[in-house]
Amino acid sequence: MNALFSRLTKKTLIVATIAISFGVAGGLAILSTTGDVTAAGPAMSPGFIKGPNPAKADPAMVDAGKKIYFRKCVWCHGVDGAGDGPGADRLWPRPRNFNAGTFKIRHTASGELPLFDPTKPVSGQNDLFDTVTHGLPGSAMPSWDGILTEQQRLQVLSFVTTQLVKDRKFDDKTETFTILDINNKDLKQVSYGKESIEKGAKLVVEKKCVECHGTDGRGDGNPFNLKDDWGFPIQPADWHKCWNFRGSRRDAYNVKNIFRTFSTGVNGTPMPSFADNTTVEERWHIANFVNSLCERDSSGNPLPIDPLTDKPKINFVVPSGFIEGEIPADPNDKKWQKRERRIIGMGGQITHKPRNFVNRIDDLWVKSLYNKNEIAFLFQWDDRSKSQVAPGVNVVAVTEAPAKTGEEGSIAAKQNNYEVYNDGVAIQFPAKWEEILPPEKPRYLHGEEKRHVDIWKWEADGTLKAYTGSGWDQPLEERSGSTATLKLVKSEFKDGLWTVMMKRALNTEDKDADVQFQTGRYIPTVFFAWDGHNGDTGLKMAVSAFYYSILEPPVPIEAKVYPILMAVGMIIAEGWILRRRASKRKLKS
Amino acid sequence: MTGLKLVEGYMPIQMLGEMGLQALLFIFIFYLLDKKMGIKVNKLLQATLLFVYSILYFRYRIYPPIPFSVRAIYATMTLIGIFMWVSSTEEAWQDFRRPIIAVADATTGAAKMIRTVVIILLPFLVGFMGYNSMKPNVDEPIELRTVHPAPPASTKVHGKTFVLQTAQSPFRVDNDGKYSDKVQNTYIDGNPWDEKAPPYLQYVREGGQIFFQNCHWCHGDNLNGRGMFAFAFNPIPANFTDPGTIAQLQETFVFWRVAKGGLNLPREGFPWASVMPPWEQHLTTDEIWKVILFEYWHTGYYPRTWD
Repeated sequence: MNALFSRLTKKTLIVATIAISFGVAGGLAILSTTGDVTAAGPAMSPGFIKGPNPAKADPAMVDAGKKIYFRKCVWCHGVDGAGDGPGADRLWPRPRNFNAGTFKIRHTASGELPLFDPTKPVSGQNDLFDTVTHGLPGSAMPSWDGILTEQQRLQVLSFVTTQLVKDRKFDDKTETFTILDINNKDLKQVSYGKESIEKGAKLVVEKKCVECHGTDGRGDGNPFNLKDDWGFPIQPADWHKCWNFRGSRRDAYNVKNIFRTFSTGVNGTPMPSFADNTTVEERWHIANFVNSLCERDSSGNPLPIDPLTDKPKINFVVPSGFIEGEIPADPNDKKWQKRERRIIGMGGQITHKPRNFVNRIDDLWVKSLYNKNEIAFLFQWDDRSKSQVAPGVNVVAVTEAPAKTGEEGSIAAKQNNYEVYNDGVAIQFPAKWEEILPPEKPRYLHGEEKRHVDIWKWEADGTLKAYTGSGWDQPLEERSGSTATLKLVKSEFKDGLWTVMMKRALNTEDKDADVQFQTGRYIPTVFFAWDGHNGDTGLKMAVSAFYYSILEPPVPIEAKVYPILMAVGMIIAEGWILRRRASKRKLKS
Repeated sequence: MTGLKLVEGYMPIQMLGEMGLQALLFIFIFYLLDKKMGIKVNKLLQATLLFVYSILYFRYRIYPPIPFSVRAIYATMTLIGIFMWVSSTEEAWQDFRRPIIAVADATTGAAKMIRTVVIILLPFLVGFMGYNSMKPNVDEPIELRTVHPAPPASTKVHGKTFVLQTAQSPFRVDNDGKYSDKVQNTYIDGNPWDEKAPPYLQYVREGGQIFFQNCHWCHGDNLNGRGMFAFAFNPIPANFTDPGTIAQLQETFVFWRVAKGGLNLPREGFPWASVMPPWEQHLTTDEIWKVILFEYWHTGYYPRTWD
């Protein structure tokens, strides 16, 4: 109800703000939504219409665009637009190679060039303009909205499409532009609902989507054998993280984005267009189903997206809830199900060598429960494969490759060829945090020489150990006594999802090294994670920011008594006011 | 948010302007309704509408969002302003009071009903709000970090001491190799990838190469602090396109921050929470100067001078 209300007010507010802003500005140009498209030809896939070839680029715009390109874009996309700038070899996915005119997110039929018109900065009718405006989430391509003006974006695209796309020409009359007419009313959108989602769930099996995207849509169906047109490894999308969809256009839960990608395919990748072997209605069902898998809150509403980062909003507190009796070992138990989960954003560890430039675990979901004696943490995260060190393999510290290696030595080329190490997850608390005055903390990465941290680390070989950290440059020191008090309750890998539950006594004997829990106190907490197939081990890992764990305290008696007193006080005040008004009235009459 | 964009760095001024204009627009609309169309909107209703609107404005329009405590201060100020406005003339004040008095006196049947509802609801509301504010909460604690902590007098990088007041970037040089604070201006539109580029632009190119091999994951491909990993951190990394970061700082201050990273920040800079690498571990002194040169050229800002 609350969420619904805030959404409603937000919407109203946006409308009001826009209306007033427009009024203040004295009226802005009205966007034209009518495209100049002609009637559908007979050979067209359902939902597509024939579009015009784009206008010829203006040489002045190309010149202006070149200046922008060599200031902003060349660093990744390279001097010749071959996607081989100085930043390219440490990126995966690699920056786009423009030369062949292959672009992923389009409204045009499979294999065709994307929509681009240097005179029309209209969202939905200008694919390349939309890509530059919104960026490509899940890759290094940022949103240029607010950095480059609309005109500058059109200029730089005029340069890219005429000078850097070399194998094809946008103004070549043999190029066709068959447009998915997504806003056409005849393309009857099936509304999002249970019935449609159920139909979609059957269709993704029937149409073999799950073969790559996995039974539960976590991108784990065929994670290691797919290659793009340039021979680099590529992964199927994880449907549970719609904010990472390349084509999400900063509107992650909009089903039209999925409908579009599914209809037009993703050029240069193994993702085909399904325009010819699905009906329009089937495509809506599938899009609705895929959309339904994207993570939502407990009432089924989309997660709030942080406009600053275009990812789910993060709350940096992990509250632990009190329960009577045993902490259930089954994450599907009611007590766990009722518990609110919190998302933990993860970035690659790039502070110290060896740095993790390609981070494959970008979030964890955490829940926590405690009872009189114990505290338990439940971790769940998406991972496309279970990774475990093979017997006989010696885990050696990874070294960092030089920045510029050439395509063969680049990080993108190395993906899926790493020695496989253990998947893992760890949680770090300061030892003796009670003695450190907030906000001060031991450093996020394994603490400091004088202020140690307590790290609980689980690895996919089934071990859960307690370590002392005393600085990023010091080896972690296992404490066998503390390891004995830690209990691994559950670890399971299923359909691309790791579930790991661990627990420990709230208080232990070794008060110097083991973290001690108290209710109602904020305990600084850091999370680490490793993806064994990414060659993660040691410092090559994913790290979180500082979070706070807090054992939710019971409601104190004062919080129950005082509000009642306040209400009684209000009643007395009301009586006084009414009496006063009554006597004033009497006086008057 | 679609609508008008907030210009980064000028948010407070723009916001103030927008608020003022909108308040005027509100008053003007009610004035028009009254004088031209004969629809008199009660002052209490006007004031309530304006107040609710400004609360929503603070909550959703301001970007990046501000914490509740600050919004509460803004709302209080707005409330004071509104009271001053409604009590500015006797006529307006009477108009404002009328519905309240009417309900309190319950002269009509409808007013009596409203009065009963209000009398019953108010104690509940007060009790509920009291409980809400007194029950233990697990909100994020507010921790204020100094973004630009006081720099030391000098810093030692790779065995060499740099006095912050006197050190100069060895690469901010004109074509004769002499330090020049005008060279960036001369080549701001130049192409660093041109083979015939002057030495300054070549250094900019080398700095850019370093930036895109080391820094963009956090500080972003467009230097706005929203790189691929930025979302995971709290607060998100420094935005160089904001006039409040490198534009406010001396080049040697930036040199110190880059070389020493989060590890060597003073206490008020929260060294424990900063993931900023001590770049002396990864880069040479020359490389650090070059990447800073690049950041200024790319954003078009000039380093601050010491006087």
